[in-house]
Amino acid sequence: MPTNTFCSSRSTASSFKRPLLTVMMTALVASIGLTACSSPDSSDSEVNDTKVENNTADAASNVANNDAVSVATIEVGTVKGPVSLAINPSPLVVYDMTLMQDLAALDVAVDGMPSRLHLDNLHSKTQPEPKSVGTVFEPDLEALNAMQPQAILVGSRMAEKYDALSSIAPTLDMTIDTANIYESSKQRLHDLGALFGKSDQAAKLQGNIDGLIDETKVLTKDKGKGLVVMVNGNKLSAYGDKSRYGFIHTVLDIPMADDQIADARHGQPVSFEYLQKTNPDWLFVVDRSAAIGEDGAGAKAVLNNPLVAQTNAWSKNQVVYLSPDSYLAFGGYYQWMQDLTTIKDAFASAK
Amino acid sequence: MSLFSSRAHASVKDNPALPAAPSSWQKKTSSGLSPKHQRAAIPPWLINTGSLIIMGLLVLLSLSIGVADFSWSGILHSIINHSANSDSSLLLVSRIPRTIAIILTGIAMAVAGMIIQVVLKNRFVEPSMVGATQSAALGLLIVSLLFPASALIVKMGVATITAMFGMMLFMLLIHRIPPTDFLMIPLIGIVFGGIIEAVTTFIAYQTESLQMLSVWQFGDFSAVLAGRYELLWLTGALCVLAYIIADKLTIVGLGDNIALNLGISKRQVTWLGVGMVAMMSAVVVVTVGMIPFIGLVVPNIVSRLMGDKLRRSLPAVALLGASAVLLCDIIGRSIRYPFEVPVATVFGVVGTVLFLWLLLRAPAEQ
Repeated sequence: MPTNTFCSSRSTASSFKRPLLTVMMTALVASIGLTACSSPDSSDSEVNDTKVENNTADAASNVANNDAVSVATIEVGTVKGPVSLAINPSPLVVYDMTLMQDLAALDVAVDGMPSRLHLDNLHSKTQPEPKSVGTVFEPDLEALNAMQPQAILVGSRMAEKYDALSSIAPTLDMTIDTANIYESSKQRLHDLGALFGKSDQAAKLQGNIDGLIDETKVLTKDKGKGLVVMVNGNKLSAYGDKSRYGFIHTVLDIPMADDQIADARHGQPVSFEYLQKTNPDWLFVVDRSAAIGEDGAGAKAVLNNPLVAQTNAWSKNQVVYLSPDSYLAFGGYYQWMQDLTTIKDAFASAK
Repeated sequence: MSLFSSRAHASVKDNPALPAAPSSWQKKTSSGLSPKHQRAAIPPWLINTGSLIIMGLLVLLSLSIGVADFSWSGILHSIINHSANSDSSLLLVSRIPRTIAIILTGIAMAVAGMIIQVVLKNRFVEPSMVGATQSAALGLLIVSLLFPASALIVKMGVATITAMFGMMLFMLLIHRIPPTDFLMIPLIGIVFGGIIEAVTTFIAYQTESLQMLSVWQFGDFSAVLAGRYELLWLTGALCVLAYIIADKLTIVGLGDNIALNLGISKRQVTWLGVGMVAMMSAVVVVTVGMIPFIGLVVPNIVSRLMGDKLRRSLPAVALLGASAVLLCDIIGRSIRYPFEVPVATVFGVVGTVLFLWLLLRAPAEQ
């Protein structure tokens, strides 16, 4: 009897070994692939190092105006070089929240947009509701094909899908350069204004941003040093002046509490002791959980501990919570307006 | 003994006195190994004392290293004057909690690894290779998405249940593998864990919680402060329980027939062991995140030095586990000072080197 059982188990083993092994190898490869996707950096791939091309929109539109017979085309600067396309492309699909905010401010109709977005001010209220074309990570190619867009605007996250998208329609990678967020976002707003024949309004919006920057800068002058931290779960990371939050240091001229993080693009994991030692006068907090629409314990609860309590920022009540837009739509019109207003108000009420 | 030789077989060879009643070989523990091996092996008390001294030094180092200003003379002043100052409060709020959390995590992961290796009679498994940590992270993600405001203890409870469930599924899977094919177990475990992780990643991806998931997937101690790690003491209690039932676990590890002969309920002890591993993994994932390799490397090193009798080797496993994590956290804290490198990353590197060394090193005795 024992021999029999042994034999049968051996034979079953060898019979299913090969296919099982193949299945397992496939699963292994698949899981490795997915693990790669789950690495913290790739989920919110920040801006590529590509230089923003100089915009030639003005020149192009002048030429277009002179040549009134043909359809007016315009050359728009993108991360991948200038792209020329017809003015006022429609249907229009947008995958990047920064660009959505700019277009909403310009009151431009967007026909396709990813679903489940957690921010406000992403599309114009006076225009019809956009159709869903997938998520911010994954375009719905079927829906896109059905829509036959004239132009697809992408940025940071969706830039990886550039090739797939550009096989459907002219795709413009208009990612904001975080290291130079002000100039870069100004350029984008200007380009979008030109592309949709609303250059005057774009200039007006830029004027609003610039005005608010000037007002805020007056208040932040000589009010101490600042540090930007992101709270993710119960952990902290510090951000420097080349990050997407760098505008606090580069545009508003608030000195960095720790200039060692100067070249940190992605946040640096830090401890609460680091906060105590760095002792910023102003703490700018990005609450990652709040930014993706969760309640949870919140950044305030995480920061509320004896070590952070020793910092100037906490003891003087100088903790500024940045908007979720600063994380998801950095460089967008409403992000500028919201965060500048928040910072301005906080500094105005400082003693 | 070769790392590839069957576990059960090796254990019997190491302990010729085993078929005797448990009480009699419990006494033998003090006298150490069988005469044949006594020449080659280092006595357990020497290993344990050595580990304790190393751990003590690492604890001192861990208490001294940190970003905030701190001096031991300040502590001395505080003790002499019987008054709190900035140094003593820093020690109590930040340094001591972090060091205790590291020690408890190290002990828990190493002991959990040892238990799962004994229960599955396989040298190449650890909690992250039987789907325990991945299932815990999945449960944690689901509860965080559905009930974000729930208390930590609720989240931990859910994580424990899913970890248990994941391990049960794994046990069912390997039930169909012939016992001779013991390299299949870790292989299947890696695939199984990968599948669970893929499901977790998919859910996180769809709900835009990848960053939240990364908090649990990359274990580090930077968030540990007084009041934020105390759940880990639970793993300490579980380790004590593991020591109490050490003999039963050892017997179960020797094989079904021996357990039957010695009157041990194999099923009961196995499930107790699995439950303990699930709980330890869940607590560690919830409080500090996943730290791979400890549960694999540490028990293997100890087993080479002092055999597989749990009553004898468990203290050494615990001490070495704590020291290993302490060392890696100290490296992680100093290498990019004042920023931190997560301990999981450091241990990933150190653990890989150690594991390769274990695999490639010529067998000590044959």
